[in-house]
Amino acid sequence: MTGNVLVIIPLAGGRPKRTAFEPLTVADSLVQQSGGEVSSLLLGPGAAQAAESLGAWGVERAYAAEVGAEDYAPLEWVRLIAETARAENAAVILLSADSIAHDMAGRVAARLEGALASDCVGLTRSEGRLRLIRPVFSGRLLLTAEFAGPGPLVATLRPNAFAAAQPARTGAGAVVPLATRRNEKDLSVIMTEFAKAAAGRPGLTEAAIIVSGGRGVGSAEGFKLILELADALGASPGASRAAVDAGYAPHSLQVGQSGKTVNPALYIACGISGSMQHLAGMRTSKCIVAINRDPQAPIFRFADYGIKGNLFEVVPALLAELKRKA
Amino acid sequence: MKIAVCLKLAPASTADIRVAPGGQEPLLTGVEMSVSFYDEYALETALRLRETSPGSTIHALSVGGGECVKCLQHALALGVDNVLHIQEPGADARAAARLAAAALRPLTPDLVLCGRQATDDDLWFFPGALGEWLDWPHLSAVFSLDVAPGKSALKCRRRIEGGEQTLEAALPVVISCDRGPHEPRIPTLKGRLASRKMLLPERTAGGLGIAARALEPALATVRYAPPAQRTPKKVLSGAPSETAAGLLRLLRHDEKII
Repeated sequence: MTGNVLVIIPLAGGRPKRTAFEPLTVADSLVQQSGGEVSSLLLGPGAAQAAESLGAWGVERAYAAEVGAEDYAPLEWVRLIAETARAENAAVILLSADSIAHDMAGRVAARLEGALASDCVGLTRSEGRLRLIRPVFSGRLLLTAEFAGPGPLVATLRPNAFAAAQPARTGAGAVVPLATRRNEKDLSVIMTEFAKAAAGRPGLTEAAIIVSGGRGVGSAEGFKLILELADALGASPGASRAAVDAGYAPHSLQVGQSGKTVNPALYIACGISGSMQHLAGMRTSKCIVAINRDPQAPIFRFADYGIKGNLFEVVPALLAELKRKA
Repeated sequence: MKIAVCLKLAPASTADIRVAPGGQEPLLTGVEMSVSFYDEYALETALRLRETSPGSTIHALSVGGGECVKCLQHALALGVDNVLHIQEPGADARAAARLAAAALRPLTPDLVLCGRQATDDDLWFFPGALGEWLDWPHLSAVFSLDVAPGKSALKCRRRIEGGEQTLEAALPVVISCDRGPHEPRIPTLKGRLASRKMLLPERTAGGLGIAARALEPALATVRYAPPAQRTPKKVLSGAPSETAAGLLRLLRHDEKII
């Protein structure tokens, strides 16, 4: 089994997302451990230009596919990834875990007759075996597993679970433009419309700080306080299922089972009791703060810092304190 | 329209799950099990499609051991037309997709529905692998779908980071479902009782022409472990202005994250 690693980098607005560099760092550590080369495939408008800077990230060959963003065709992406993986004889294919990655990863693994590991929080290699750690049972257990082939391993990595650091060595960084002529199969699924969410705030999956509101915010009006605190901290707002179901917040903000899985450096839960379903989506956050007036709320058992108090008093006090310091 | 739904039994979302002695497997004895969270939305979607396109049939299938019976009885209690139990105890997602593809190909459904991820392995593998091995398109994590009568394509909506996509897919197609606007229905007692008397047709890997080698687990389990327990570092109490200042101090100076 050769040790080549292919990193898939989807572009947003012509640039890799912040979290796209985490798989590159993991790729470097894998080849440091047992040899092989790192290559990458960039997908989206601006790919050729973005590919030019990847030598500094230890990439030998940066494949650039200028595929359309407005007419996203997931099966075209699958084909390009599988073809590039074959050309590179890749043993490992890495993607940062998000909706697009989940769209591709399983199908690529099946096409290459390999295996899939989703949402990994650990990935190392020793003696020709890949060892991975991933949450299962909605985060209630962690599974450590090994893979020794046959076929490549496709792994999606949980955003923010790995550091992104430029490796000490550089790669050749040769840009390889890919032809993007679509075939009939590529077009069997095609995006016809994209309704952009309100701009100005970072997406939940990649956010470094999240301020979330639950049932305790009491109303859509009450949820505005969550938005205010999020803005003051440069954070993304989130919500529990209870808050979404009650109509206080849009579904796009939902964290937990049936919403997004997040992994920020800081997660501030306001008026969230901490159901198993909510914990499933945020328990790997580095630092968790709980603000809840119910001292028995389960969230306190999972929080690093707790404030047992009324969020309608505590959050305005936090806002006042942040303004005072600014 | 001929609709197939793939169902898996998984621990209920609220169940506490521990590790069996030896660390090699989860301890599931006594844990409440039900149809996997997202699979329930797939089944609900199928039932609603059948209501709006008369003449449609629903075929439910489940791959695994004896636990599949509960899934299929649940589907029958809700009125699906046919069920199929593919006997393969301990099948992982890759094996299940291979077997489901072999069983579905001769059935020629227009649409295969399943959950976006199973709530036990949380792998997101089955839908894409099934699409690949059927050589049909697939779409993942769809919360709303629309099939115009007599059309050979359907329109789906899904939420991704930064917005909502609308996509069109050609039939036949595999669709994995996210939680949609319609909550899964609950079977009536009459339906449940009737379902227990119905026969559950079975197939095996051999009968489907799949060799045992193709069903070997994709990954070898090293161990299961509970996530690291978080020890609460500090609980702040007092006047809101004091707790707020105290918290920001901790986040700035101790944690250095703001």
